[in-house]
Amino acid sequence: MTAQIFLSLLLFVAIIYAWIATSRAPAIGVLFGLVALTGLYFVWLPSHAIAIAHRLGIGRGVDLVIYIWMVFSVLAILNLHLNNKALLDKITELARRIAISETTSRVALDEDKDDPGA
Amino acid sequence: MSLNPWVVVPAYNEGDVIGGVVASIIRQGFEVAVVDDGSTDDTAVVAENAGATVIRHPINLGQGAAIQTGIEYTLTLGAPYILTFDGDGQHAAEDLKAMLEPLASGKADFTLGSRTMGRAVNLPLSRKIILQAATLFSRISLGRSLTDTHNGFRGMTRRGAGLINLRHHRMAHASEILGQIVRSGLPFVEVPVTIQYTDYSLQKGQGALEAVRILAELAAGTVRR
Repeated sequence: MTAQIFLSLLLFVAIIYAWIATSRAPAIGVLFGLVALTGLYFVWLPSHAIAIAHRLGIGRGVDLVIYIWMVFSVLAILNLHLNNKALLDKITELARRIAISETTSRVALDEDKDDPGA
Repeated sequence: MSLNPWVVVPAYNEGDVIGGVVASIIRQGFEVAVVDDGSTDDTAVVAENAGATVIRHPINLGQGAAIQTGIEYTLTLGAPYILTFDGDGQHAAEDLKAMLEPLASGKADFTLGSRTMGRAVNLPLSRKIILQAATLFSRISLGRSLTDTHNGFRGMTRRGAGLINLRHHRMAHASEILGQIVRSGLPFVEVPVTIQYTDYSLQKGQGALEAVRILAELAAGTVRR
C-alpha cells in the first residue's frame, strides 16, 4: 500500500507536469498525461496489467509496465529537448538584437567621425 | 539606407582567410556584412580591416543563426538584394554577378548556387556521396528536383529575404532554408557556381557524422511548440 501511495503521488506530479507541458507542446503533453494516467491505473489495478499484457502478446504485466515507462522516458526527453530549443531560440534572438544594435551604433559613430558636419 | 546589393558572410574562426574573401567580394562591387559568430580568433578585426561591416555575435550560435542575423541586419539597411556566401574561401566571388542577375531582372526571388551545374574542384568522393544523399533527401522531403541542396551560396530579393526565418542554428539550416524557399511559392532558379575545396575548407566542412546529426535535428524540428 505504501508503495502504491508513493507511486501515485509521483504519477500525480507527472500528470500536473503533463498538463503544464500541454501549453508548450500539446501533443507531448497529452501523450505524457495519458501515459502517466495509465501508470496510475496499473498501480491500483495490477491484475489488469497482466490481462492487458496477455492481450497484447506481452508475457508479463511487469513487462508491459516497463514498456510504458520507456515510452514515458522518451516523451520526457523529447519535452526537455523542446524546452531547451525554446530557450536557445530566446538566447539567439537576444544575442542577435545585441549584435545588430551594437553594429548599428558603431557604424553611426564611424559615419559621424568621417563626416562631423552631417 | 543602402541600395547596393549586400553579401552576408557568416564566419567562425576564419581569421586566416576572411580578409581575402571580403576583398574578393568588394572587388566585384558588393557591400559585405560579415557575421562573426563568436570567433575566438581575429576574424572580426581582419574582416573589418578588409572593408566589411562586421556584426559580432556575443556567443557562438551556429551558421544558421549567423545567416539569419546577417539577413535581418541588411534588411534594416534597405538592401534590395542579399546574397549569402561562405567565409571559408570555397565560393568564387566571380559568381556573385551571375547569382544576382536573375534577382535584378525580376526572373526570380531566390537564386541557389549549384556546384553540380557548375564545378566542384577537388571534391573528395566521401563528401560527394554525402552531398548526393542530402540532395536525394531534400528531393523526397520537398518534392522538388534540385541539383545542389546544401550550397551556402544563395541569393534573395528583399521580398524573399523577408520570408526567411531560420530556427535551426547549426548546419540543419541548409535544409530548413530550402524548405522555406520552396514553401514561399516565390520563383527560384539554380545558378551554376564553382566550389573550390581546399584542405582548410574540408577540415571545416561536414563529415558523415554531421550528416546524421543534421537528420536528427530536422526530425526533432518537426515536433515544435
